[in-house]
Amino acid sequence: MTTENTTQDLEDREVPHSPLAGPLDARTMAPEGVSDGPDVVIPMWRQRVRIFMHNKLAIASVVYLVLVTLFCFLWPHLHPTNQTNQNLALTQPFNAPPSAQHPLGTDSNGFDVLGRIAFGGEYSLTVGFLAGVVTIIVGTIYGMVSGFVGGIVDTVLMRILDAALSIPLLFLLITLVTLFSRSATFLILLIGLTGWFGNARIVRGDALLIRRLEYSQAATAMGASKWHIIRRHVFPNSISNIVTVGTFSVADAILFLSTLGFLGLGIQPPNTDWGTMLQNGSDQIANGYWWEIYPLAAIFILVVVAINYIGDALRDAFEVRLIER
Amino acid sequence: MFAYVVRRLMQSLIVLFIVLVFTFTLPYFEPHGILAPAYVVLGTKASPANVHTWGVQHGMFHPYLVRLWDYIVQVVWHHNLGFSYKQNLSVWGIISLYVPRTVWLALTALVLTFVIAVPLGIFQANKRNTVFDYTATGSAFILYAIPSFLLCLLVLQVFSFGITHLPASPPSGVAPWAIFTDPVGFILPVGTLTLLSVALISRFMRGTVLEVLVQDYIRTARAKGCSNRRVLFAHAFRNALGPIVTILGLSIPGLFGGALIIESVFNYAGLGIETVNAATYLDSPTVLGITLLVSIFTLLGNLIADILLGVVNPRIRIQGEQ
Repeated sequence: MTTENTTQDLEDREVPHSPLAGPLDARTMAPEGVSDGPDVVIPMWRQRVRIFMHNKLAIASVVYLVLVTLFCFLWPHLHPTNQTNQNLALTQPFNAPPSAQHPLGTDSNGFDVLGRIAFGGEYSLTVGFLAGVVTIIVGTIYGMVSGFVGGIVDTVLMRILDAALSIPLLFLLITLVTLFSRSATFLILLIGLTGWFGNARIVRGDALLIRRLEYSQAATAMGASKWHIIRRHVFPNSISNIVTVGTFSVADAILFLSTLGFLGLGIQPPNTDWGTMLQNGSDQIANGYWWEIYPLAAIFILVVVAINYIGDALRDAFEVRLIER
Repeated sequence: MFAYVVRRLMQSLIVLFIVLVFTFTLPYFEPHGILAPAYVVLGTKASPANVHTWGVQHGMFHPYLVRLWDYIVQVVWHHNLGFSYKQNLSVWGIISLYVPRTVWLALTALVLTFVIAVPLGIFQANKRNTVFDYTATGSAFILYAIPSFLLCLLVLQVFSFGITHLPASPPSGVAPWAIFTDPVGFILPVGTLTLLSVALISRFMRGTVLEVLVQDYIRTARAKGCSNRRVLFAHAFRNALGPIVTILGLSIPGLFGGALIIESVFNYAGLGIETVNAATYLDSPTVLGITLLVSIFTLLGNLIADILLGVVNPRIRIQGEQ
């Protein structure tokens, strides 16, 4: 951690790399094509982007996520289908196999399945992403305050966290969703506000550690304010964990929303989300209407795999030992 | 050691109290007011007078602190976890039948997870970056991304209606320990629950063993001429056990959450199904009781994990006693 910070200070002042660095310097171990030249210190964020870009599967994951997102938000405009009329099955064929008109067939309500995947995806992706953002913000602030203020505040905050962690999340979510509302906004807040416990614990661990490191102590000795130390030292050095765990939070939020959907507590009709759709499709699985569940299942699972994989690749990109010094 | 356990138990009690107060307070924030369950119990067209009577009967109009105190007396003194709104029974009377069923289900899955995931993780670390490792890691990655209910459905589709014809749900109306006397019906639910946690734990075990394998004492053991198997299972295994025990303790709430889904799909009456039912009837005392109970299991699990941590890693035990 200390060395990472030194590198950052160096890079801020654009000091050329020391020629004294021996041949066993870490950069000789960096992947080929990463180095710009022997005497230039590459800004850290660009090195991180490069390490990330070297991971082919991570790039594929990003491309896949972008494509799915574009599909979900653009397809309903390119190829509008009726996704809200509950009485569609009275006039349209329902449970119809794939055809030219309906590329993935129709479901038991007569909705076009391909259009509905895009329609439900808008909710699943939006709720998942925003809930992940809420998780990151709340978890980071809570963990930073707890780890940095310390003392009795830390003890009290951590006991509250213990209590929160010992309530099984799914039980809590079910209770809250049934008690309150099932609107998209509420689901975002709910999944976000119940998902940050693990994040807070990790950020707190980082804050506790970095606060005690020599450069933080030195900054304190030089008269830096607490806020300055948080902003300039603690936050930049724990950003890797915040972003990595935050990525996993988005995946978890999407999974949680789908589980709520399965229990009938997800986005309510006439709107839908992927979990609710999978639940509806699973009712038809025994009838052999494969198009109502398997295409969506594949898209859904790959979305979660891709997000988790991006999280893994981000962890590598932030790994100090891979950064060229 | 004794002082440590007592201190941890006291801490757990404080945590439990926070959980109790939190879940007890939740219905107060309900948009339709605290009398909303009355309309579920008495019907949506219940007259205001009847609703009022219901409220009086259930002590709804007492001040908050009085109600909280009454509830604590029910839990601590009468051990009945309060009274259900929907059914005219104490909460413990409703769930006492389900508790052993869910606990046996979860416990069996936990033991199986440990037995499968730990050797799997060790082998993966030993054979790292081989086809075996990539396959196992890839499967874990995908398993981790499948929503649990979807995995249940796929398992049902393949093993109950596909290549084999295992029973799709455990026998109903049997003793809680039927899981041992009549295991055939439990293969799919327990197997699915195990599969869900094996993905997580084996991945974690692999990482931990990889970290252990680069330590100096492993090199020393190899230099002494220990066989690979002895290095893995005597040296690496014992040193990787610490983090795994902690993770197993922490995975208990997830296990109960998984059991909730498993019970719904495989139609096995347990705490999970009861929670969903009670929640849809706004029967908050029952939900509160179950939440409290599962929290107790979680806290006990964490305590046992921490004590076991001292057993597998004496260095921590010494620190804890000082």
